This record gives sequence, C-alpha cells and structure tokens, in this order.
Amino acid sequence: MKLLKAAVIFVLVPTLTPAFDPLSVSVVAGSAVMAWHLFSSDSWLRCRFQECCNKNATVNFTALKAQLDNRLFGQHLAKDVVLKAVLGFSNNPSPKKPLILSLHGWAGTGKNFLSQILAEQVHPAGLRSKFVHLFLATLHFPHQDQVKLYKEQLQNWIRGNVSACPSSVFIFDEMDKMHPGVIDAIKPFLDYYEEVDGVSYRKAIFIFLSNAGGDLINKAAFDFWSSGKRREDIQLKDLEPLLSVGVFNNKNSGLWHSSIIDRNLIDYFVPFLPLEQRHVKMCVRAEMTARGYAVDEKIVQAVADEMTYFPKEQKIYSDKGCKTVQAKLDIHEDFVMRDMKARA
Amino acid sequence: MDVGKSHYLQMLMLPTKLFLCDLVVNQFAECTIYELNCAWQPLAPDSRGCSTKHGGSPSALAPPVPAQTWRPPLSAGPASPRTRDGGGGSGAEGRKRRPGGWAGRAMKLRRGALRAALALMLLPLLTPAGAVEPISLGLAIAGAAASALTGFISYPRLYCYFRECCLHRHDRRAAAALQENLDKKLFGQHLVSKVVVKAVRGFLNNTNAKKPLALSLHGWTGTGKNFVSKIVAESIYKKGLQSKYVHQFVATLHFPHAHSINLYKDQLQSWIRGNVSICPRSLFIFDEMDKMHAGLIDSIKPFLDYYELLDGVSYRQAIFIFLSNAGAEKITEVALDFWRNGRTREDIQLTDIQNALSVSVFNNKNSGFWHSTLIDRNLIDYFIPFLPLEYKHVKMCVRVEIESRGYTVDEDIVSRIADEMTYFPREERIYSDKGCKTVDAKLDYYYDF
Repeated sequence: MKLLKAAVIFVLVPTLTPAFDPLSVSVVAGSAVMAWHLFSSDSWLRCRFQECCNKNATVNFTALKAQLDNRLFGQHLAKDVVLKAVLGFSNNPSPKKPLILSLHGWAGTGKNFLSQILAEQVHPAGLRSKFVHLFLATLHFPHQDQVKLYKEQLQNWIRGNVSACPSSVFIFDEMDKMHPGVIDAIKPFLDYYEEVDGVSYRKAIFIFLSNAGGDLINKAAFDFWSSGKRREDIQLKDLEPLLSVGVFNNKNSGLWHSSIIDRNLIDYFVPFLPLEQRHVKMCVRAEMTARGYAVDEKIVQAVADEMTYFPKEQKIYSDKGCKTVQAKLDIHEDFVMRDMKARA
Repeated sequence: MDVGKSHYLQMLMLPTKLFLCDLVVNQFAECTIYELNCAWQPLAPDSRGCSTKHGGSPSALAPPVPAQTWRPPLSAGPASPRTRDGGGGSGAEGRKRRPGGWAGRAMKLRRGALRAALALMLLPLLTPAGAVEPISLGLAIAGAAASALTGFISYPRLYCYFRECCLHRHDRRAAAALQENLDKKLFGQHLVSKVVVKAVRGFLNNTNAKKPLALSLHGWTGTGKNFVSKIVAESIYKKGLQSKYVHQFVATLHFPHAHSINLYKDQLQSWIRGNVSICPRSLFIFDEMDKMHAGLIDSIKPFLDYYELLDGVSYRQAIFIFLSNAGAEKITEVALDFWRNGRTREDIQLTDIQNALSVSVFNNKNSGFWHSTLIDRNLIDYFIPFLPLEYKHVKMCVRVEIESRGYTVDEDIVSRIADEMTYFPREERIYSDKGCKTVDAKLDYYYDF
C-alpha cells in the first residue's frame, strides 16, 4: 500500500501540476527549511542568532575562578563559598533542590557584582539574558498594601519562567527592604520537591542580596583586626551562625521570621567583608585600566585618600566600599589627560 | 471574553510596548520571556498585561489559573503544545491540549489568515495582465528605494537638522561649551565651575559609565543653582531647557500633597522609565529638594544605582541634578571662617565643605534627603556647594544685566544698585541676602526711560 501511495505521488503529481522551475523550487524549499528552523525553538540555527536556554548548563570552573580572582577584590570568603557552591551544584546531574545563596554585607563591597559574574557564567549574556531576572524590592514591590498582588504575580512569574528554562537565575536585591510576606510566597519553589505542578525547580538558582547583617560582619572583621589576626584568616564558621541569627531576628531584614530560614532552605550565607584601603586602590587601578589610561600611583593614592573610612579612630574600612570611585576619578582625570598629552 | 478582540487589542498595544520597553518583541515566538523581561509591573486584575507561561498541570492539585492573568499567545502560531513545552524541560507529563476553548479559536484564526494569504497571492493572476506598465512601475520603485536610502544614509544629519534628536555625538562639544558658558556667565563660584565641568565632561566622555550622573547643588538663594542647571542643559541639548529630553520637577508644584505620595511615586517612576527608554541621555532636574517629601526620592533610588539594566532599560547615561537650599548655613559658616581669618575666597577647597555638607544635609529634617537612602547608598556623585555672593559679584551681575538690555554701563548706577541690596551678617555685611535676585527689578527703577 505504501508503495502504491508513493508511486501515485511520484507519478501523478508531476504530471498534474504545471512544470516548476527547479531553481526556484529549490530556492523556495531551502528558504522554507530555514524558516522552519528559525521559528522552531532550540534549533541550532535559531540559537546562533537568539539566545537559547542552555539545558545542560555546567559552569566552567576555571573561567569562574579567573573572573572572580581578577575582578572581585578583598572577598576571600565569598569567592571560596561561591566557587564551591556553584561548582557542586552545576556538576550534580540531579540536584535535590534549587541553589539558594544569601549574600550579606556592607554597601559597595561587591554583592551585585558577584551575582553579575555568576549570572554571566550560567547564561553568557549575564544580566541582559532573558533567563536572568533581577527584582528590586523598592522598585518592583514598593507598596505595602499590595503585598497579596505581588505574591501572586511573583509566583506566576517564577513558575512561567522556570518552565521555559529550568536553569533560570533569579536575583532579589534589597531584601532588607522587602516586605516579609513576599518572600514566603516563593518558599514552595525553594524546597526539596521533585516537581511542583509539573514544573521542576531543582536546577534554578536563587540569589538574595541584602545589607542586613552588614554591621555584624563589620564588627567581626574589626575584632579580628584588633586582635592582630589577618583578614584572610577569617573563616566562614566564625560568621555564619552570627549572620543567620542576626538576619533572622532583624525586623528590617525582609527575611524576618521568614520560613526560609526556619526551614533551612538557604544553602549558603555568603558574607562580604568591608573593604580596606588597599582594596579601594585595586578598584581604582582596575577602573583606570578599563578606561585605557596608564596606571598612575599618585592618582590612585589621591583617590583612595579622598574616600572616607570608619571606625572613627582607626579608619580602616571604606565607608562606601568601592562606590563613587569612578566619580572621584573624573575629578582627577585632568591630571591624567595632561600627562598623557605631555607624553604623546 | 472575546478572544478575537483581545487578540487585536494586543496587536494594537504592540507599538506602545515597543516604545516603552526598548526591546524587540518577538512577534513570532510565543509571547513569553521577552515580554516578561520587558516590563515587570504588578498587574491590576483587569489590566492588560504580558502573558505568562504555565507548566502543564494535569492534576487537580494545581490552583486554577485566574482567567485574567493568562493571555493567548500574540502570534497565531502553534498553540498549546509549544507554549507548554518550552523545549521539553518540564518533565514527561503529557502535553495537555485545552479542548476547544480559545485554543481552538486560535487555530481557526490561523486558518483564516492562511486563506487570506493564499488569496493575496492569487490576486495578481486575476487582474488584467497589461494593467501595470513595467517601466514606470520600475522607475517608481527605484525612486522610492533611492529616496529611502538617502534618507537612511543622511540620518541623523539631515533629519536632526530640522527636528530634535536624541544624539550622543554632540557630547564632544558639550563640555567645552559648558566651560565657556560657566566662565562667562557665572560669578563668584570658583568651586562650581571647576567641579561641574570636570564631572560633566568625565561623564559624557565615559562610554562605559557604571551609573547615571547625580549632582546635588546646595547653596544660598540667588547664588546661581538654577542658572547652572540651565547652562548644563543648554550645553548638552540644542534647545536647552525647552528640549523634550530635559525634565524639570519642582517639588512644591509637582508633588504638593503629602497624602498623595504613593501616586507621585508611581507616576515619577513611570515617567522616568518611559523617558529614559526613549532617550538614554536624558536630563532630570529636581528643584526645591528641601521641600520634597522624604520618601519620594527613595522611589527613584533604583534608577541612580549601579545596575546595568532595570526591566530592560539602562539608566547609565542619564543625568540627575538635585537643587536645594539645604546646607546653606553650613557653607556660609565655612566661607565666613575663611574671611575672618583673612584668607581669600578662592582658597576655599571642595574638601573643606564637602564632608561637612554631606552630614548636615543628611541629618536635616527639612532637607528632603533626610534619612533617604540616596545618601546612605552613596548614590550622589558630587555635592556641589554654592558660596554666598559678595558685593563685587552683585556688581558683576548688574553690569551683565545692563549690557544685556543694551544700555551703556554707568559705574555710578551699578554701585548705587549694589548698595541698595541688603547684606549679612549684621556686623560685617559681606554677603548679599538674596544673591543676585531682584537686581533686574532695581534696574528698572533706574533706567525707566
């Protein structure tokens, strides 16, 4: 029967239809095939031009380590923890629950920066990727009286996006400003379920950023410094219990009495230590090289001196971390430009 | 709900979405990630919005999807299987096709569109063959193509000659123009002209700015804060303050009522978001910051921060200028100290004032920045102080005013007008109470012929 059908097609159809020009037919057929490829998801042609979800996303360990070493200054703890966490998670073919990192620290110490580097390793487009989602508590969830609406929207959003791309990355910034109830809304997604409503969240990554606990970390770092120990000697175990409790009990933390800590759903608390002057100088040097200037130690020193430091007497840690360094560089830039012109 | 109508409504809304979102909405794929990334906004239950995707939920455990949050995919493309599938990542449960319902209607729509396309293709065969003259048609098409190409190539020079465009190229001349204008027109503010020019030049030349430029201008009344913001606008934009990319907000005018602050917050955020997505190099001037409600500025804090993209819009090229009188007493104190110690005004350095200012402005309940996260997060790039004006500066103002009116400068009248202004402090009487304000009114009195 099949042979008959094939014979019918190959004999009858050409005789009944008017003769087609083979060139145009092949052109039409070729373009039809290309169009089919382009519009169907996940074909190789489409993924060359548009971003596709990387189903078997494994993070390149050496690349991540290199990025962290070169771009993040002064955070040996954070680097360690994140490397181990992400490596273990991505190499595990079937993780039991999504990866949840909670980054805490003073302003300007590099929390957003780290989450950006991490997102870039998972999805090459980084924060611009359509599989990486950034939520700001003050921007996206501003009004207290609409918490119910935010909860519902957030759940739908996460559900929809994880079903599209299981290895989505969700970054929640300003957790200390978030209403305590909003985060509870996504608790079910973070738990040890195999599937929730048919969608598996086990390959997703959730990152929570906040300033809560920053003062605790600063105090601990300062204590280390006063007792003469080196900064690199600070261990995670010195800080983690402090942080967990401090953040849990802090009314401003957004995770306050949240069941996320209660249920131990946060995999890693990552503390960010306040930056010292030498780290500020590293930031300045990095900024100067990024702008294409030759690194001039005088200017580096001048900019580092302009920053304010705390505590009042000892003046070790920068108040703003590495923030406003760029602006201060603009002021001193004149000297750089003059120097460059003089040499040229 | 009439699916067809809402479908067309969504098509109509497409231009607005493009406008606001600065992203290409992928019309052919399912309306999913692009639109989700494009504008996260809490949807009121009955508002139009972006569709969401749901994993298939065969069991009764799944909460019923509220009708209003599910929208049919924009295209008339393949319906349920692709929207659920997303590439097969969500397990092996069967793909559930919704029986009939609006998915069926989408299929019908697709068939209708197919038929229409077929009809269009066959149309030329039906028209009489010789109706269209090939040569003239060819010429017409070639002419149209050529003119489109010329227009395309000459953009932006030709088009932007007549209408205002949002360009980046004029940044090069902007800093030089700014320096020149400040030197010529601003009197008595050596700190301002130095810092503002460097800040603006550095920012405009930096192709990879990490955050928008945020300047905070503080000082006594009449010392030139609005004037400087006007000069900055004129150096960067052709039309200056009248440009459609320059936005000025006056706290007492635009945000008068304390009880509507939530409304103001929402509107301000939408305004800024919408305008920066149209033209990344926008300028926002906030006047009378000391009268602004403390929480309102917090609502734009996210835009001033070090984010690369927020909901698909990058704010890194925008400029924010905040003007206020807060901290004026502190600045005057510093200036008086210098004067009493016999040092010249030009000896005053920025560092003498800057740190004192930052703290006093932060703690001042009237400052509009009170306990605001703007200072907390160090999002203000430069605090720029305006020193109170002395007698000689008032005279300079008078001279400039006389010249601008076209009269000859008479030194006697200039001194008389300057003497008429009131000065403080009581004993020393150095600084003008109102700066250079009311000078032109006094001129009228003397030149009333």
